[in-house]
Formats: sequence, C-alpha cells, structure tokens
Amino acid sequence: MSMLAYAESATSSSSDTEPDAQVDFTTMLVQRQRGCESGSKLHTTDADQEQQEQDQGYYLEQYVLGVLDFSSQYGIDYSISYTASNVIGRPTKFPAYGDYPETFTMRTYGDWWQRAPSATRDIQPQNMPPIDTHDYIVVYFEEFVVPTEVAIFETFNPGAVVRIWAYSMTKHWHCLWEATAKDLNYLCHDSRRFAPPLKKTSIITKTLRIEFNHSNLNYYTEIDAIMLCGRTVSHRRIQNLLGKARAHSQTQISLAASALGSSSTALAVGHGPISCKLRSLKFQPICRSDNNADADPVTGACKKFINDFINNDLSQFLLDNRLANEMVEQQQQQQLQEMQLTPANVHAQAAARRICLTDLPFEILLKILSYLDLQSLFRVGQVSRIFYDISTHPLLYVEINLKPYWQLANSELLCTLARRATILRKLDLSWCGGFGDVSPTEFKKFLTQRGDNLTHLRLNSCKFLNASCIETVGIVCDNLNELSLRNCATDPPLLNFSCLVNLKNLERLDLFQTAFETELLLSMLEGNRKLKHLNLAFCGVSVNMDNVAAHLANYNTQLVSLDMWKAHFLTARGLQSLSHCHQLEELDLGWCLREASLGDGLYQLLVNCPKLRKLFLSAVRGTTEHDLRHIAQLGKNLEQLDLMGILNITHERVYDILIHCPKLQLLDLSFCENIMDRDFDILADWSRLFKVNIKSSRIYDPR
Amino acid sequence: MSRTSILGPPMSYVDGPRRIFGTLVDIAILATELAANGGGQLIRNLMDRTKLSPAKIYGLSNTADEMLGMELLAKKTEQYEVEKLTSILPHPRLVSAVCGFAKDANLYPSYSRGKYGEDAWFKASTAAADALGVADGVGGWRMYGIDPGQFSTFLMRSCERLVLAPNFDAQRPDLLIARAYCDLMEQKHPVLGSSTACILTLRREDSMLYAANIGDSGFMVVRNGAIVCRSAEQQHFFNTPFQLSGPPPGQGMYVLTDGPECADTIQFACMVGDVLLLATDGVYDNVPDDLLIRVLNEVSGVSDAVQLQMSANCIALMARTLSFNPDYDSPFSQNARKQNIESPGGKPDDITVILASVI
Repeated sequence: MSMLAYAESATSSSSDTEPDAQVDFTTMLVQRQRGCESGSKLHTTDADQEQQEQDQGYYLEQYVLGVLDFSSQYGIDYSISYTASNVIGRPTKFPAYGDYPETFTMRTYGDWWQRAPSATRDIQPQNMPPIDTHDYIVVYFEEFVVPTEVAIFETFNPGAVVRIWAYSMTKHWHCLWEATAKDLNYLCHDSRRFAPPLKKTSIITKTLRIEFNHSNLNYYTEIDAIMLCGRTVSHRRIQNLLGKARAHSQTQISLAASALGSSSTALAVGHGPISCKLRSLKFQPICRSDNNADADPVTGACKKFINDFINNDLSQFLLDNRLANEMVEQQQQQQLQEMQLTPANVHAQAAARRICLTDLPFEILLKILSYLDLQSLFRVGQVSRIFYDISTHPLLYVEINLKPYWQLANSELLCTLARRATILRKLDLSWCGGFGDVSPTEFKKFLTQRGDNLTHLRLNSCKFLNASCIETVGIVCDNLNELSLRNCATDPPLLNFSCLVNLKNLERLDLFQTAFETELLLSMLEGNRKLKHLNLAFCGVSVNMDNVAAHLANYNTQLVSLDMWKAHFLTARGLQSLSHCHQLEELDLGWCLREASLGDGLYQLLVNCPKLRKLFLSAVRGTTEHDLRHIAQLGKNLEQLDLMGILNITHERVYDILIHCPKLQLLDLSFCENIMDRDFDILADWSRLFKVNIKSSRIYDPR
Repeated sequence: MSRTSILGPPMSYVDGPRRIFGTLVDIAILATELAANGGGQLIRNLMDRTKLSPAKIYGLSNTADEMLGMELLAKKTEQYEVEKLTSILPHPRLVSAVCGFAKDANLYPSYSRGKYGEDAWFKASTAAADALGVADGVGGWRMYGIDPGQFSTFLMRSCERLVLAPNFDAQRPDLLIARAYCDLMEQKHPVLGSSTACILTLRREDSMLYAANIGDSGFMVVRNGAIVCRSAEQQHFFNTPFQLSGPPPGQGMYVLTDGPECADTIQFACMVGDVLLLATDGVYDNVPDDLLIRVLNEVSGVSDAVQLQMSANCIALMARTLSFNPDYDSPFSQNARKQNIESPGGKPDDITVILASVI
C-alpha cells in the first residue's frame, strides 16, 4: 500500500460523514470475520483437501536447463571445452577426478592474479564481505521449487563455492548458504558432491547464482553439474503468491529514497520511514476482493487494510519502532566506544554518559563514518537529522563500489547516490543490474550528472549496458584513467564503442571477453599514449592481433601488462613487435600463436623486456627447446611462468629454468607430455627444493 | 593377411541394449527375445502410462532404443507426454544401425563405443533433429608415433556434444564440423593427427537433410531403388582425401591441412521411405554401388532397428570380405587404373557403416 493511497482514503473518509464511516468500518469487520469462518468451513471439505495436497507439490531433483550469466570461463565461446554451458544437464564426469574439458572452469585460481603486476585495488574496500567473491555463474532450471537442497558436482579441486543465492518469484535474491573461513580451507584431491545445509526458506525459485572464491585453490576448480532439489509448487499457489507480491510491491512505491536500507530483505529490522516499517512488520495485508458491490474495490481494500492495521498492529508497530531506535543508538554508542581510544574504561563510560555522540566535532564524526560500508552508512543516516546530514556528505561518496551489493542496486539507488556523490572519483558498478533493476536511462542520467570527474570506472558484467550507455561514457567521462568493460559482449553483439576514442588519459583498459572492432581499438591505442595495462583476453576472432601488437609497439611503449589470452591471429610477427614495449612486466600469450613456429620472437622479447615478471605461454605449442633455453638464460626476474600443454619440455629444461630463475614462484607444467609419470616425483622434490609452486594437472584416465 | 582370418572377430553393435555380439546369430536371437519379452513389456508399460491406443504406440516406436526413450519420457506428467507425442508424430525421424570392422584386429583387440580402428562415428538426436557422422582417421600418422584414431574419435565426440548442446543449428552441419574442429584446438592435451569427416542432420520440422563433407567418406540416399542424392569425394590426388588436421608443433607446413571451410554442403528434401547410408571409404572403395543399392532398397521404410542392423552388418561384412579378396576388381582398383596405378584386388581398410531409414 502506497502512502499516496493512504492519503486518498484519508481525505475521502473525512469528506464522508463521521457516523457513516463508523458503520462502514464495523460492517467490514463483521464481513471479515464471516470470511474467516466460511474459509475454515471450506477447509474441511474433501475437494479442498485434495486441492491442498496438490498445492503441496512433490519432491523434485532437477539439473541445470540453461546458463543465464557468468563472470568468466576458461574456454572460448565457440568451443564447448571448459565453458559455462558444460554445467547444463546431468554430470558427465562426476565420480571421476581430473582436469576434464567437459566441465565448467573459470579463468583464475589461487592468488596469483593478485600478485601479478596487473592486479587492481578494490574501490571502497570496506564494502567487501569477509569472504570476497571472485566469480559467479547464474543458472536456471525447468520447474519452480521451494529449495531444500542444492548439490554442486565438483570434479577438480573442489572447495571454491562460497555462496548460493536463489532468485525468488518476488524478484529478490536470497542467500541460501554462505561459506565460512573453514569451508574455504577444504583441500582434497577427490571429486565431491557438495550439498551444504541451506537456510530454511519458503521462497519459490528456479534460478540459482553460485559464487566462487578461488583464493585457496591449488589449481583451477571444475564444476560438472548443479542440482536443485525441492518441493514443486502448484500453479494456483504461484498465482496466489504473485498476487500477494503485487500487493506487496504496492506498499514499496514510496521507498525509493531509502532503497539500499529497505530493499534488502536480509536486514533484520529496517530502521526507516513508516512505510519501511510497515513492510518489515510481521503481518501481511489481506487484500481479498470486497463483497461490497457499490464500494470501489481498491479504496475498499485500502480502508480495510488501514483499519486492520490500526486495530491489530499499531501498538506492536510503535513498540517495535521505539525499540529499534533504541537499539540503533546503543549500537552507535558501542561503535563510538570501540573507535575512541580512551585510556580507561571507566572514563569512557563516564564520558559517554555525559557527552552525546553528536557533540563530537563534525570532522571526527565524518572520519568515523568514513570507515563504514555503504549499507551501514545508509542506516546511520536514518538515526537522526544530524546523522543524516553527516552521512550524506559528499566526501563519504568519493569512491562508490556497488559490486558487493549487486543484488540491491537499482535505478532508485543510483538516483539517490547521484544526489549525494557530487565529487565522485571512482565508481564500480560491476555485476549490477542483472535482471533489469537498473535502467540504462537512469545510468546515463547518473553519468551525465556525476561522470565528468570520474577517474576509475568499472562496468564488468553489467547487463544493462547498451550502445548509448557506452557512448555516454565516451562523451562525459573524459578524465578516465581506468575503464573496465569486461563481459559486455552479449547484446548487441558488437558494441558501438566509437565514442570511446574521446578518452585520452587511459592508463588501464580492460576489455576481457568483450567484442569490439579492430579499428576502434587501434585508434584508442593511438589516443592513449600513457596506457599501462591492457586486457584483451577472449576478444573474439574479429581482431587482428598483429596489427594491435604493431600499434602497441608504436604508440604505447609505457605498457606494463598485456593479456591476450585466447586471442587468435597473433603470429610470430606480432610477438616480435611486442618486444618494443620495454617496460613490459606481464605478458599473457596463453592459447595464442597457433602457428607452428615462434621464430626468434620470444628471444627478442626476453632480451628487450628484462623486467618481465609474469609470462604465460599456455598451449603455445610451437615453443621449442631453444625457446626454453632462452627463458632460462634471460628470465632473471620471472616470478610466474606458465608452460601448460607444451610438448617439447623435458625435465632437463625444467631444471635449467628452476636454477636460472631465482625469483620464480609459479611454474605450470600441466599436460606437458614429455614429463612422464616417473618425473612427477622429481617435480615434487624440485618444488620443495626451489620453493616454486609447480603445477602438473592432467586427465587422470586418458581415453 | 591369410584367408582364414578374413572375418576376424566381427564387431558389430546394437545401440539400444549395450552389448557386443559375437556373431550374427546372437543378434537374431536377441531380436526375437526383445520382440517376445522386453519389447512387449515395454510397450505394455508405455500403454498403461500414456493411455494411447496400441496402434499409435506401434506406429510410433517399434525399436527397443526408441522405447527406452519413451520410457523416460513417460515419467513426466501425462498431459505433457500426450502433447509431446502428438507433436512428434507428423515429423519424420531416423532409425539407424551401425556396424563396422577395424582393418587390423590385432591393433584394436577390444571394442570401444564409436570406434572401428581409425574410423569413428557418432549418432545423436534432439527434439529438433537427428544427427549422424563418420570420420576416417588418416593412417599415415602411425609412422610418426601418433595414434591415427585419436583425432577422428575426438572429432566425433565433440560433434556429439555439440549436437546435444542447446544452441545446435541443424541446418548447418558444416558449422558443426567447424566448431568441433575448433574445440579440438582448445584442448589442453594436444590432439594430433588428421581425419576426413561427413555429417548428416535431419531437421524434423521441414524434413530436410543437411550434409557437410570433407574428404572421401560420404553418404548416399536411396529412394525406390535409385540413388537420389550422394556426396562427392574430395581428393587432392588419388587416395589422398581432403582432411582436417592438427599437426604436431613445428610440422605445420609439411602437413596437408584443409580448414573446415572446405566442407561441401548439401541440402536435400527427404521423404519417408528413404534410406541413408553413411560410410567411410572402406565401404565405397570395395562395394560397388549396385550391390549397395540392392541392400538399401530392402530396408526402405523399415522402422525395426534389428532388421536395419542386419542390413548394416550385411554391408559391413560384404565390404570386409571383398576388401581382402586379391582377385576382386574393386571400385578402388578401377579408379586406380584410371590414374594409371596398378592396384588389383580389394582395398583393406577400416569399415564403418551407418544405415538409417527415414520413417
């Protein structure tokens, strides 16, 4: 019920004569009682009992029907190896354990990516939950169920699942399970069917989101299938619930301003305006169609609702509200006590009794609040007018990171933030707006208002982005240092990025898994001479990487890190031009260079880029024994080296590299055929001796 | 190879009940058993579940394979099932049987599904289409220490998975080959070797047959005793077909590599009663067309997988026998003579036969 409706009904009743209104009220009460009685009578009849049984549904186990979204995958879209679509259907490999292409694998593992030169810092880090999410996948099933069990079939390096979310019919995300630090430390070399104990819930869902944290993984994790078990729900009940949800959403219309605090169903008590309070109270508005033929059904329902409320719940509401306020104040004081470094406890308590929190200087309060995450900041704002004023101070909104709140972000929140964040510098909207919660128009409005000072903008996996959004970024945000546009390739297939050429100050450009045109990229490279980090992984087959490499050599000699993972059409010529970027510290050429021979490209690169710390040559099959010698001779600063899937490696060469690269921490030798089974023991010895993490995964039962 | 070992241990295969049969007699026995016991029981179960008339059931599925599929289907709600059945009924579909022999039984002593020596095959069906495929690994790789069957087997496995993937497009078997080939290139474990490939898809909706072919494997469609559609051989020169390949590192320039874009594509409007033969060159090089047509014509409109299996076995056995006959003037030796090459007798090769009838 909206506040508007409340006001209307109030005015209409005041225009009526008082006694009439009274009569109306009592008749309604009587009717309601009758309705209850007749309802209870009906329940006893056989027909209704049958209905009841049908309503309960049956127990159902179902596997994934399709993948809606994912943040990263190891494979490339047109193949079916290591891609997200492999979670569809029954497990194909499950009891077996090993590195299988028929499973879903993500791009990273361990903390190696955070140790690399291209690592980024979180924006507004206080927002991050204790166990961060690195990757996610959103899958849907055939039937709506009330979930009782979710089973994840992990066939390689299990233990990365940290959260399971369900998308309810009322269009909210509910966290069904969350990992603790203990769950993360699961280390086992066997496949497992992971079915954590879910929170007791009555939500109805057929969409799940599984979140992963790779930090403790030894190697890539692989997911074979996901099963959702639960009780099905009859159509009648679904209709019923949808009706309720609609009524429910009406009550939320006026909540726009406090979106963050209130739209989170996870919050125990929303300390907010009355409408928010109404929602969090335990009674449900029963909007049965009115028997009064003459009365307007809507206003009738409203009246009844208000009457119900006044009769039954007002006292409870007041009680709750006051209690809640007290609780908040107590919390605040506790917080204050924790933060103030007073010499003695007694003193502090005495001081707390004498002086109020608000007596502190404004700057101190501001400083205290600056430690709060966004959600707490919004809650503090609801304590009092003074706190509201402080909590909306622009200085608290210089950096905004909504990635941890992806499930809460919507257009209204953006609107609120636009009012507060007048000096916004860094913005991270990654993962937000998945189910149409954020409208592109609202995002463009936000950018035009606050985008001109932005230095960092991350829009990874933002489903709401369309061509005109990108255009706005190009036109408005001309001060950008960092632009991250991962995973925005879906719709339309080729984004119109032409306005991005306006950006001239970029130092970091991340186009991971995003389709774009070669011409545009080349002109962007020309315009941004200071570019330091460039990520072109999975950029698709339309980009000629040799031209890109030549451009980099000409214009972007400051380049520090370059990721070309699975980029086709890079040849030895491109590799040679890359050696002109003398500052290179990180180079990922995984699955590039499909041509047979590298020439002396790798040698040139190693000679000219002595700072190289990370070199990935995964599945660069043309790497020869000669190249490996060069790596050993010239790679003095190498810390991470990936030689996965290279046939010619012998253990002599490995030993050579280990001896000559003193800083080496990671060496991936998986699927190197020439290193036979007997050598694995030697590798383990070397791993201890040289303190290098040597990876050697393989398919355990070769076909 | 001596005459006595011509038959070798025959390795044929009925797809429904997963068993390997020693002899043709076994197959015949199993067929009668199926019809007498299991099959009848299955049909009865099905009838109880669906409450359909027996005629409808029999008309819909007579083979053990199909009935097993229906059995699974029957677990869903009745309403859904009847809808599904009626939606399938008017559209044609394929019933198929596979048979084959490895050239050298000593190299491949045990049967593994989807493989006859260096040949590989797959069949898969979805709600929208049926797909069949064969691939013939190029034997020359054995000299380089590479198993020639690896590439073809992997190609067919990838095809099978791609057909079952949600975004499969039955109208583009050439894309299927291309994607399977790309998938091969995306393996951590390098897949080396080369292979020909031929893939057929039947799109139920408009009963169109789509085919893509690289190399000298091929298919033919027989209707009323005549070949109405067949694929053309793609050869660089005599006995050297076009081939997809994954060369070992450093050998790229010395290896024949025909990209998946070389694939011939064929569209053909299928009719109920057509018989499809999809086979590797081991069959076409040894069995003359008129013999093939005679066998194929017999199974026109046959929906019984066992009968189809017998015919498939028949073709495979014919090819096998003729291939080891030194006095036989095979199609292969006739073609060789046209190239001024003397190569009398049959051509021993791996043999794969997929026989399918449109019903």
